[in-house]
Amino acid sequence: MKRKLSAMFGIALLAAVAAIAALATGSNAATKHAAKSVTINLYASGDVNVQSLWQDHLIPGFEKKNPGIKVKFIFSEHGQNDTTTLARIGAAVKQRKWPGVDLVDAGIVTTLAIDGLDQPVSKATSPNIKLVPKALLTPVKGKAIPYRGSSVVLAYNTAHVQSPPKTLTGLIQWIRANPGKFTYNSPNTGGSGYSFAETVVDSTLPQDVHNQMIEGYTPQLESNWKQGLDLLHSLNGSVYQGVYPNGNQAVLDLLAKGEIWVAPVWSDQALTALKSGALPKTVKLTQIASPSFTGGAAYLGVPKTARHKAEVYKFVNYVLSPAAQTQIIDVMSGFPALPLKYLPQAIQNQFADVSANTLRRGYSSKMQSDFKAAWQQQVP
Amino acid sequence: MRRRELRERVQGLLMVLPPIGVIAVFIGFPLGAAIAYTLGKTGGPNSVVSLIAQRQHVAHHGVTIDAYREMLSNPTVREDLWATVWITLVTLVVVVAASWAIALYLRLSNTWLARAVSSLSVVPLFIPVVIASYSIFVFWGPDGLFRTIAFRIGFHGFPSLGYTLTCVLLGEIWVNIPFGVLMMSSGLNGVPDALIEAGRDSGASMPRVVRSILWPMNVIPTVIVATFTGIYVLGSFTVPYLTGPTQPNMLGPTMSNFFASFNQPQQAEVLAMIVFVLAIGIGAIYVWANVRASKRAGQIS
Repeated sequence: MKRKLSAMFGIALLAAVAAIAALATGSNAATKHAAKSVTINLYASGDVNVQSLWQDHLIPGFEKKNPGIKVKFIFSEHGQNDTTTLARIGAAVKQRKWPGVDLVDAGIVTTLAIDGLDQPVSKATSPNIKLVPKALLTPVKGKAIPYRGSSVVLAYNTAHVQSPPKTLTGLIQWIRANPGKFTYNSPNTGGSGYSFAETVVDSTLPQDVHNQMIEGYTPQLESNWKQGLDLLHSLNGSVYQGVYPNGNQAVLDLLAKGEIWVAPVWSDQALTALKSGALPKTVKLTQIASPSFTGGAAYLGVPKTARHKAEVYKFVNYVLSPAAQTQIIDVMSGFPALPLKYLPQAIQNQFADVSANTLRRGYSSKMQSDFKAAWQQQVP
Repeated sequence: MRRRELRERVQGLLMVLPPIGVIAVFIGFPLGAAIAYTLGKTGGPNSVVSLIAQRQHVAHHGVTIDAYREMLSNPTVREDLWATVWITLVTLVVVVAASWAIALYLRLSNTWLARAVSSLSVVPLFIPVVIASYSIFVFWGPDGLFRTIAFRIGFHGFPSLGYTLTCVLLGEIWVNIPFGVLMMSSGLNGVPDALIEAGRDSGASMPRVVRSILWPMNVIPTVIVATFTGIYVLGSFTVPYLTGPTQPNMLGPTMSNFFASFNQPQQAEVLAMIVFVLAIGIGAIYVWANVRASKRAGQIS
C-alpha cells in the first residue's frame, strides 16, 4: 500500500513538473512572438510548380526584405486538403475564431469569397492591390485578390502534326479524322480537361445563358448543356482508348510518350515540363479560337478571422510588386495579374497578345461542380 | 463474496471504459452525424458541411430517404456498384485460392523453391500502394512489357490493360496476396506434424489429409483472409483511381468525385453508407465463423 502511494505521488509530481515546464515554454514563446517576429500561415494547393513558386521564390524574397515577418507554408498537393480546409475556415469564421490559416492560395478561394468568408479587398492595406484590373474582382465579389493568371492551351506534337487546328470546330474535325490521337483528363480530376469540356459545351450555348453561368449559380439552366455533352459523348470512339485519364499530369505523360499527338494542357504546367525536358522539344503550344479555352486568375484570400492582417497585406503587396510578378512569369510561366504598363519592357513584349484580364472566364465554382457531375453522367 | 464480485465487475468496467470512450467519441459520434446527414438532417454537427454543399436533400420534418433514392437510381452509380461487387468477389476468390495453394505448398514441401515462392509473394507488403498501382499500370499499359514483347514478335493485337477494370483486378490481387499468404501459412504451420503423419500412417492419401485434417483446422484463417480482403477491396481508392477506366469504376473514386469534385458530400456519404452495409455483411460472416469455432472449442455455450 505504501509503495503504491509513493508511486502515485511520484507520478503526480512528474505531471506537475511537466505542466509547469509546458506553461513556461508557452509564455516564453508568446513574449518572443510579440517582441521579435510575426508568423503568418499561408495555405496553398496545386501542382509542384505552385509549391516551388512560394517555397523557393516568393517567401524567401519577402522574408529577406521584411526581417520581422515569417511565413509558414502549408502545401496541399493537387488540392487534396482543399475541401477540409474549406470546412475548417467556414467553421472558424462562423464562430469568429482563428482558422489557423491567414492567407489562402487555392481553388477554394473563390468559394470562400462568394460565401462571404473572406475579407473584402476594399479593406486591404496594400497599395499594389489598387493597380489590379477591376474586371478581375467582379467574379469574386471583390473579396479575393488576383495575383497571377494561367490558361489552358492546345499542345501538339510537331513530329506528327504540322499544322494544328486553329478553331474549336477544326479541333473536333481533327479528333474525328485522327482517332486515338487525342484525349483530355476527366473534368473532375483537373482543370485542363475541364476547360476542353466546358469550351465545347460553351460553343453550343446562347450568350445570355452562358453569362448567367459565369456570374452565378442557376441550376435550372443546366438542361442547356445537353447538346454540348452529346457532342462530347459522340467523341468517345475517337479519343485515346475511349479513356479520360485522371489528372492533368496523366495527359502530359501520354503526350510525352507519343501515345497521343494533341491535347489541352495548362500553359504553365506544359511550359515548365518543356523547360525541364519532361515533354519533348517537338511539343508546341497554341491557342484555338471561337471560342478559346478558358483560363483565369489565381486568387489569394484572407479569411475574415485571420490574424496579423497588416502583415498579411504587406506580404500580398510584395506578391503584387513588379519584381515578384516578374518572378512568377520566369519561374512558373504564369501570366501577370498587374496591367502590363507597370511591368518591365521585356515582359511587356512577351505578353503583347495575352494577359490575365483578357483570358476567357469559366463558370462560377458551384456551376463547375454541377458541370463535372453532368459530364460524368453523360459523357463516358 | 458478493462485494468482491461487485468490485471486480466495476474494476473490469473501468478498465474497458477508456477504449469504449475513444471509440464512442471518435468513431461513434461522426458515424451518427453522417447517418443523420444522409437522412436529410443538416443541423447540429452537419451545419458547416451543409453550408457549402450542393444539391442536398433536406428533411424539414422527420427524415427523408431521397438522397438514397437519388443515388440508387443513378445509372452510373449502379454500374460502379456492380463493378465494385464483382471485383471484390473475384479478388476474394483468387486471393483465397492462391494463398491457400502457396501456403499448402510451403507446408507440405519444405524445399528452397517453396520458401522462395512464399517469400516472393510477401514482397508487395513492402511496396506502397501508390507506387505499386502506377507500376502495374505501366507494366500492363500501352507501352508495357508484355505488349512490347508481343509487338516485337509480330503479335500486334495484344490488348493494353491500362485503364481497364481487369487492370484494377490485377492490382487488387497484387496488393492483397501477401496478407493472405501470411495468414494461411501461419494457420497451416499451427497444424502439428504428428497429426499429418498419423493420417499418412493410417493410409490416407495427400488430398485426403488436406481435406480431413488441414482444411478443418484452417477454417478460421481462411475466413479472416476472405473477410479482410473483401472489406479492404470494397473501400479501396488508390488502385482503381490510378489504373481504372473513367466509367464504370469502383465506388472509392466515385465517392471521392462526389465529395470533392461535385461538391455533393451528402451523396458521397450515401455511397459510404452503401459500402458500410456491404462491409457489415462481410463482417457478420466473420463473427459467425468465429462464434462457431469458439462453440466447437467449448469456450462459450
